[in-house]
Amino acid sequence: MTCGGKHGSLLQGRIGYAWGVTERAQVAERAAVAYEALAELAETVEDEWQYVTDLVDAYLPSIRALGTTPAGGAGSISPEAEAAVDESIAEIELIADPHKAIDWLSTFPHVIALALGGDVDAPAAAEEPGGAAATGDSPPEPDEYSPFRVLRGGR
Amino acid sequence: MRFQDAARDARAVVYAGIQADPLVARVASLLADATVGERWLARAVMNGERTDPAGWRRIFPTLLGVAAPAEARDHAEQLLAACLQVANRGEQARSSYRGAVVEDLTARLLARRSASVRRERRVLFDGVPAEIHPYDVTVEADGKPEVYDCKWGARGINADVLNQLDDARAHSADDDVALHVAIVVFDARRSCELRLSRSTARHDDTALVALEGIESLSKVGR
Repeated sequence: MTCGGKHGSLLQGRIGYAWGVTERAQVAERAAVAYEALAELAETVEDEWQYVTDLVDAYLPSIRALGTTPAGGAGSISPEAEAAVDESIAEIELIADPHKAIDWLSTFPHVIALALGGDVDAPAAAEEPGGAAATGDSPPEPDEYSPFRVLRGGR
Repeated sequence: MRFQDAARDARAVVYAGIQADPLVARVASLLADATVGERWLARAVMNGERTDPAGWRRIFPTLLGVAAPAEARDHAEQLLAACLQVANRGEQARSSYRGAVVEDLTARLLARRSASVRRERRVLFDGVPAEIHPYDVTVEADGKPEVYDCKWGARGINADVLNQLDDARAHSADDDVALHVAIVVFDARRSCELRLSRSTARHDDTALVALEGIESLSKVGR
């Protein structure tokens, strides 16, 4: 896997903090570290190793990107948003069942995106576009995916 | 091709009891009018470890916090309460409840545009052995039949499901019937696409309806 390791990411986050990264980036990094730990649990399901790897490769950069591409251009986030991320992290840290961990590998990034504002559905900037798209109905327009649209009142 | 009620084995009888639980209908009814954010709330809560509503309110402040519009917050609170009831049924039962919720939600949304929605139906073709598993939801309108398989998560997408859907579509085409086949997954489209990208089963003509766009089921034009 390309997770990198929990301790390495923690160190990376602390170094980043020392160089003055935004509060938003710190919070996103905490989420990314928790996501990596969740992936370590999930990958113990041998039959799903490939799927777990694919999920992590897709979503981990997107979670980190939530810290570097603030929707409003501001570096700070509200106390409520930070608490939401930390509560979400606490929730996934309770998971002991690796099968449930796989379910949360798909759910957690979107919960974090709702808290921080942003999108984890598109590849992060550093990612190569890839993965076969399912055919059939056309995917909605990007703004149709956006939690922002929903939170602005769209049902 | 023709539709037929599925024969009920012991498992189906037990599952029918869950499908008929008013809690399933309540969650599905709330989800039918939910925002995408509320759908993520429902997925998280019904997959969650904690059953304390205060914790979930802190995780979803934009939906359940004091800053959320009152009407929207009330709807989200109702959804939270219903989903927590599912979560409180325990690990074994909640899995069945979640599946039943996705099926009920799918049927409700389809019923907004068609009066021909049915549940647990098989599709039969002359000279072709019948599939063992029924389709979760069907639309049996003349000339425009549709079949849907419903999954709680992207992990439910597997070769057996995809093959059954595509076989039904291909056999229908042999009968000059354009059968619309789709898989409805209450999970992220991106995760579903990752799952599908690794599948060797044919799915080019199988539609994917994921959590973010599930309301599209109620729209005419598929």
